[in-house]
Amino acid sequence: MSEEPRVGVYVCHCGLNIAGVVDVKQVVEYAKTLPNVVVAKDYTFMCSAPGQQMIKDDVKAQKLNRVVVAACSPSLHEPTFRRATKEAGLNPYLMEMVNIREHCSWVHPQEKDAATEKAKDLVRMAVAKARLLEPLDTIVSKVEPCALVLGGGVAGLEAALDLAKRGAEVYLVEKAPTLGGNAARLGKLAFSNMRGVELVKTLVDAVKSNPKIRIFTNAELVGLDGSVGNFKAKIKINPRFVNEKCNLCGKCVEVCPVEVPNEYEFNLSKRKAIYLPYAEAYPPIYVIDTEKCTKCRKCIEVCKPGAINLEDKGSEIEARVGCVILAIGYTPYEPYKGEYGYGTSPNVITLFQLERLLDPTGPTKGQLLIDGKAPNAMAFIMCVGSLTTSPTANVYCSRMCCTTSLKDILEIKEQYPDTALFVLYKHMRTYGRLEERLYEKASEKGVVFVRFEEPPKVKVKRDGIELKVYDLLTQENLEIPVDMVVLAVGMNPSKELEKVRSITKVGCTPDGFVREAHLKLRPVETPSDGIFLAGTVSGPRNITESVISGSAAAAKAAVLISKEQVEVEPIIARVIEDVCSGCGTCVAQCPFGAISIKEVEGKRQASVDAMLCKGCGTCAAACPSGAMQQANFKDHQIVAQVEACFR
Amino acid sequence: MAEEPKIVVFACNWCSYAALDLAGTSRMTYPTNIRVIRVMCSGRVDPQFIIKAFKEGASGVIVAGCHPGDCHYMEGNYKALRRITFLRRMLENLGIEKERLRLEWISASEGAKVPKVVQEMVEELKKLPPLKLKVEG
Amino acid sequence: MGEKPKVALYWCASCGGCEEAVVDLAERVLDLVNLVDIVFWPVAMDFKKSDVEAMPDGSITVSLINGGIRLAEHKEMVELLRRKSKIVIAYGACSSWGGIPGLANLYDKEEILARVYFETPSTSNPEKVLPQTSVKADDVELELPEFLIRLQPLHQVIDVDYYIPGCPPTPDVTWKALQTILSGKLPPKGSVLGASEKALCYECKLNKTKPEKLLLKDIKRPHQVIVDPNKCLLAQGLLCLGPATRGGCGALCINAGMPCTGCFGPLDSVYDYGAKALSSIASILDYTSEDEIKKALEVWPDIVGTLYRYYLAASPLGGKVRSKR
Repeated sequence: MSEEPRVGVYVCHCGLNIAGVVDVKQVVEYAKTLPNVVVAKDYTFMCSAPGQQMIKDDVKAQKLNRVVVAACSPSLHEPTFRRATKEAGLNPYLMEMVNIREHCSWVHPQEKDAATEKAKDLVRMAVAKARLLEPLDTIVSKVEPCALVLGGGVAGLEAALDLAKRGAEVYLVEKAPTLGGNAARLGKLAFSNMRGVELVKTLVDAVKSNPKIRIFTNAELVGLDGSVGNFKAKIKINPRFVNEKCNLCGKCVEVCPVEVPNEYEFNLSKRKAIYLPYAEAYPPIYVIDTEKCTKCRKCIEVCKPGAINLEDKGSEIEARVGCVILAIGYTPYEPYKGEYGYGTSPNVITLFQLERLLDPTGPTKGQLLIDGKAPNAMAFIMCVGSLTTSPTANVYCSRMCCTTSLKDILEIKEQYPDTALFVLYKHMRTYGRLEERLYEKASEKGVVFVRFEEPPKVKVKRDGIELKVYDLLTQENLEIPVDMVVLAVGMNPSKELEKVRSITKVGCTPDGFVREAHLKLRPVETPSDGIFLAGTVSGPRNITESVISGSAAAAKAAVLISKEQVEVEPIIARVIEDVCSGCGTCVAQCPFGAISIKEVEGKRQASVDAMLCKGCGTCAAACPSGAMQQANFKDHQIVAQVEACFR
Repeated sequence: MAEEPKIVVFACNWCSYAALDLAGTSRMTYPTNIRVIRVMCSGRVDPQFIIKAFKEGASGVIVAGCHPGDCHYMEGNYKALRRITFLRRMLENLGIEKERLRLEWISASEGAKVPKVVQEMVEELKKLPPLKLKVEG
Repeated sequence: MGEKPKVALYWCASCGGCEEAVVDLAERVLDLVNLVDIVFWPVAMDFKKSDVEAMPDGSITVSLINGGIRLAEHKEMVELLRRKSKIVIAYGACSSWGGIPGLANLYDKEEILARVYFETPSTSNPEKVLPQTSVKADDVELELPEFLIRLQPLHQVIDVDYYIPGCPPTPDVTWKALQTILSGKLPPKGSVLGASEKALCYECKLNKTKPEKLLLKDIKRPHQVIVDPNKCLLAQGLLCLGPATRGGCGALCINAGMPCTGCFGPLDSVYDYGAKALSSIASILDYTSEDEIKKALEVWPDIVGTLYRYYLAASPLGGKVRSKR
């Protein structure tokens, strides 16, 4: 600032709260002796209307250009005095407030002299900073009223629907060729007569008939620029090689010579290189697995509508959106070869494979047969890949496996009443209103529950499977011969997460899921403003919980994109370009990804995205040359306070 | 004639400044030796400020921030931890005893921790001989 | 009238490198000699102190003083040159900030003298003889200048107009600085001449090889790394102080595969070079636990020597602080 600072100092009595201990008159007289202090006054309640008016009158009459208020905590009244300063005609950031109540009079009630001296010191420090304050303008950016929902599983579908119902344009982007996510691969759901596919279809029907939602399947996010309210998303639509002319006649599948494991069925069956994941899939268009396709072109020969084009290159679109909702789901834990015998016998399966087997439209039409007969005995081993039961296991519990397993157990008991059922568990967590009932029913129906501390040993023999486990509750070693073992595996973070993370720059927790802004108070937001979370992307949850979080994310996102513009507090970091050497120290300091290196005249230079900067100042402290400064907390402003503490 | 040690406290807005407020609201009492400088995050605290504080006459400096994992800005307090730990070692080599620089994690609800920390530090500082910054001779 | 500007050069507690640096101007020194009148240069020319005393005050256009103020004699001479000069330039790291001799401020005068005269392994001084400021021998009074209790940079003893950084300043920096002075268009008092306004990374060819996120797993000493000369040294774990150090030297050390040690000193907006460098290094070490930090400290025994190598005497603390006993 080129003009001389003219500081007004206002010392509040706060009734007797301050004045009863601190000699406010002495503080005022002292303030008058400080350089650049033009007026110093005291008043009973500075936050009151007459108190604020005093400031406004003085700014005009005394041509003040800085205001210091010594009173209660800024957490209470900083906005009050900023407003008053603004109404007085000054930039609101030319006001400094200092706490002589909570930090002084209230904590030193018996030491009036020392408290008064301390108040004088604090006022002197505030004046020192005030002299160096600079006007700051709130940063404003207009908001695009559109949303990008990444992931077409139940959470993403719900979020897209809720947003579209509020009138927002939604880009729904799904990496797989069809919508539905993991839920579409589940059999009959717990407490419901719907199969996973049917639940998904309910959501998909609503989504596809909503004109506000633009669906992109076989598509992925390849770039994300910009910041809250104003993102530029680059979406790559991978080539499908089959278009809408497809009438699902299936002749192409008959003639395709390539057979590969069917990942939709968790590799329990095979599919061709040209395929539709499942009958009710949306969009109802076949897709070619380009990695496995031998380009023999037999499919083209038999395709009457001419829907197949092997030269399809896909396309890329750019979407301008105000917010992004990450709903990319999870990947089931895959046991390693030999883990409880997995991969060494077709009769050791995962919970997800069991879902497919029990599904009446699944690879075995809902039958659980070994050599054409129902199994004599089956064991469920719980907590596989969870609760640190193996070297590759996660530490956390995946919430949904106990409920899902017990639901399946009751189904098996219903279908095969003579099959003996054993559940070996480290912990049994059928939490919630209805879930405990599953556990009770299973017990009533004679399912044997064995609690272990040491994971059971599985030996796959030629004529069956032998389980050895130490029962923690009866304290005996058990040997259980069974025909089939189901491994209740948990949820791992999505295998797409690493790529999505590097593009969106969201942070992760130590166990690999995306980190939410606050576990309890902001569970569907991320520290990156404008990026929200829905479903299992931030941790294991069941379908109900995923749908809830999808709605929650949509609600939060709607608040953002229904605004005309978004405002950012201006106490942010800024690079002094004349000083910045482009050393890059600052970039990794920012957890919000607000700092990037740009090229200016062939040299590197740091740059802060004002919309992303939260104003912590960590980068400023790290900058080795003093080129990064935080507005209102600049080096020379803080150093002035330190010096004024003593002189 | 021993002078009362003056302690500069850098308090982060969200946790420790609020804890200082809470100590006041709860009418807890503690020695008058501290002078608080408000920053948004303990990560803002540049070691230069601390050196300056000692140079100007501080007997002790406290950097107060949120507990690890609770930082309002995610990781600022981890940076503070690294910088202050290194600085404390460097200050020791420069003749400033390690007791003179404290890094405290004080959450917004830990008003009671404030009098404890201040009391402790004042007592510790009084046990140390005063710093001699001006070199005579 | 066309009188050539008068130039004086003087050395205090100095290794002689700054004198060498002037000579290193090579052919340009001949240009210099043509442009100016050197009126005092103990290392190269035979002028005496009395010659300087005889000059009118302010008649020397510019005095280039290198070396730190360690002895009473240095103090006396620089005060004399200040009186006689229009412009005084602190030439080199030692006069600008104390330089490497400034590290002596980690010790008491008593400790230093004891070490030098009693304790070094190759010293035999059973009578504990110490130098004295005055000694009578055979009716003659011999004087030695007093060893001051601390080494000070030039600006703490006299008013300094400009600084030329470096240990020593490179010939290019020296030449540029001299041209600025002789051009008559003088920059604001207190400016650093001949060097860059930005840190060394700006001109270092390895800067563009830095990863997007600069985070280190540990610190390495130069002998622990087979240096890849084509990759940023700091990114390889070496303590290169380039980010914290003023540029202008052309990154000579980096080009030779050695990390910057900071001899061009701090940038203008820095209050304490060592503390700032410490902050940036601690910031890029990717540790979250106190144990990791303590382990890193074990690898780095001499933080002060590394970060305040040239700057200790000028730093706010100035050296090791003593407690009043």
